[in-house]
Amino acid sequence: MAILYTIISVCYYLIIAFITFVIARNLVKTKNFQEAILFSVMLMPFILRILRIK
Amino acid sequence: MYFHAGLILAVIAVSFGIAKALKLSVELSMLVAAVAAAIVHSGGAIPVRHLVEGSFTYLDVCLIFITATFFMNLIKESGGVAFLVRSIVTAFHKSRALCLFFLTLLLLIPGALTGSGATTVLTVGTLVGTVLTYMGISEKRVAAIIFICAAMSAAAPPVNLWAMMAAAGSNMPYVGFFVPLLVLSLAGSLFAMFFLGGKGKKVELSEALKELPAPPEKMNWVRVGIPFVVLIFLIMAGRIWPHSIPTLGLPFMFVVASIFAIFLSPKKLEILKIATNTINTLIPLVGIMIVVGILIQIMALSGARGLISLAVVTLPMWVLFAALWLILPVSEGLLQYAVAPLLGVPLILLFNMKGMDAIIALSAMAVMWPMGDILPPTAVVGRATVMELKFKGRYYKDFLKTSLIPMGFILLIATLFLIFSNELSFLVGG
Repeated sequence: MAILYTIISVCYYLIIAFITFVIARNLVKTKNFQEAILFSVMLMPFILRILRIK
Repeated sequence: MYFHAGLILAVIAVSFGIAKALKLSVELSMLVAAVAAAIVHSGGAIPVRHLVEGSFTYLDVCLIFITATFFMNLIKESGGVAFLVRSIVTAFHKSRALCLFFLTLLLLIPGALTGSGATTVLTVGTLVGTVLTYMGISEKRVAAIIFICAAMSAAAPPVNLWAMMAAAGSNMPYVGFFVPLLVLSLAGSLFAMFFLGGKGKKVELSEALKELPAPPEKMNWVRVGIPFVVLIFLIMAGRIWPHSIPTLGLPFMFVVASIFAIFLSPKKLEILKIATNTINTLIPLVGIMIVVGILIQIMALSGARGLISLAVVTLPMWVLFAALWLILPVSEGLLQYAVAPLLGVPLILLFNMKGMDAIIALSAMAVMWPMGDILPPTAVVGRATVMELKFKGRYYKDFLKTSLIPMGFILLIATLFLIFSNELSFLVGG
């Protein structure tokens, strides 16, 4: 069971990494200033989670 | 203490108002309000730690509706939604009641899985709207039906974001809500569908099918059904074999079901494009959830949240019963999901303290909140509905006015659930 939980945990990091990549891609592409700020705020928890800081 | 908390509340209200006046979006206005409140509370410094801490509050909920909406978008892009709508119309066009019944169920699925009414409008709203038009239902009634069913789909289980957020805030497990939420959302959506669309003409089958997009030739029930079966199996497996199946979490389940949807799709899906569109659609939702987390953290830090809680819990019960049907939708229109932790948590603690069934009471409130998604200033689902359906009538005099009677019915049964929560506690299940 411990191995399964490790695999699931890794999968979650991969899911978050993929979402982070898509948000970052949208951040680079957007020309709307307000959207860009919101994307940056949205990125914060996702990046910190990937880096395992929080 | 009261003065400081009151000052923080005033700073939040004023800075939110100024930001809105400067034409900032609701999400950014809330962020400005949170940062301003944080600065005033800390005497000029920015408490970065609390801002970051707050942004994590609803990260798990964000993951659920990003993955769920991605799953629904995959089903839509593979032609699954068009296939389902065409199948329902072809099979039940001779029986108006059955056709309306199955269309209602179809409208409930996307929001029930994602917790977002806008997702229902964006994935199945237009297609169902087309069928309803060919059933002789007027434009304004079609728009009202789609909005109310979308709002009810957001309230439907398993994912009800208002209930999840309020439960999380009051240290209450999100367990036992399935049946009460299902009863309320099903009753509300069926009433709206049959009240507004019960009378009309028979479905013009050939005309309707001509208007609906054709699914890929190889699309069939197995291809569209297996991803849903996998999802339901994964959800049920954890309950049937709690000690043998690891806790997977809803986001993981949606990803697994999405993988099945990708492999079973009869046409090649552009996954990155669909994922990008999903995120673009969800910007307001994910953004508001993260910002609401920050705002709640700052309000808790400064005592402002406690002040609101105190004000709510000291109100007489009869005032709450008489006013919640109005307060909850109006506050939803103003603050969106932020109202669940702000008003929902103190209310649920109060109801619990008064000996009411907290699960039934929170279910009732979680069905009243989505009714406010048609109200300004945000009107997220209402605006999505009129945009997607290309509604040509007037927003308030046609669309909102037509929605009022079904909305009133839903608010009435939710209020009755609230008042008779103990008598209805038999509905609480797993």
